[in-house]
Amino acid sequence: MNVIFQSTYYTLYQAADQRCFYLDFGQKIVRMSLCQLLSLRHKVMNIDIENHFDSDFNAHGFEVLMLCNKEHLFILNTLEVLDLKKLVSHSFISLGLSAEVPEVTFS
Amino acid sequence: MKDIARQSMSIKVESMDLLNGQIKMEAHASATYLAMASWCEQNGFFTSAKFFFKQAEEEREHMMKIFNFLVDTGGNPISPEVTGINHDYSSIVDVFESTLEHEVKVTKSIHNIVKKAREIGDFATERFLDWFVMEQVEEENTIRDILDMIEVTGTEGVGLQMIDNQVANWIE
Repeated sequence: MNVIFQSTYYTLYQAADQRCFYLDFGQKIVRMSLCQLLSLRHKVMNIDIENHFDSDFNAHGFEVLMLCNKEHLFILNTLEVLDLKKLVSHSFISLGLSAEVPEVTFS
Repeated sequence: MKDIARQSMSIKVESMDLLNGQIKMEAHASATYLAMASWCEQNGFFTSAKFFFKQAEEEREHMMKIFNFLVDTGGNPISPEVTGINHDYSSIVDVFESTLEHEVKVTKSIHNIVKKAREIGDFATERFLDWFVMEQVEEENTIRDILDMIEVTGTEGVGLQMIDNQVANWIE
């Protein structure tokens, strides 16, 4: 397996022989097709960070993420959400499917 | 290393996001024209109602064209949520003026996607949108012609009835 991108909490791998991807969430590794990876991207990119910090919309500061046709469920805190957004955007650039220049982040 | 991602998808994700936005816009246009058809029916403009029923169908066809393009290119088409449809119009002129405004917005959105596709070298998306660019020229022209006809006919006396009858000329 080849590493596509590694962020603070997550790593995305490509398994060429199986024609799929593996996303290591730390406590769990999830196998994904590209379609499922696109679906993950859609869900993660649609998490509104302003609403995330707004107690009227999100009282506890957690986001619930269901993946691969509700096969997996993750509860993410703020740092994990931001890190997953970073992983998704950088991974698609590494995969050659995104032309965006990633935002400069300071760590 | 095998490029599984590129083998599975032939457009850029930025184009996919914009095309999903366009799917939503076309669905919104279709629902808006249905609301206009309803208004026309309720206010006695039966030919105009037919015109808007047809327009609603066309917008849905446009939406499906984009949806199928995303399927064909290995993308992730999203079925849109449509909310906030206006059902209130002050007159038949207001209906057609709103239609032109809506069409101009759609044109601008299409042009924006073409511009972005060109910028990121997504030739498939750029070429796919050629048809939409020309279709929007036709759509805007149709509504402008109807507004010109309304201007010439006038809304006094039997004007409104004549306007509604003449809209038949633009139903294909």
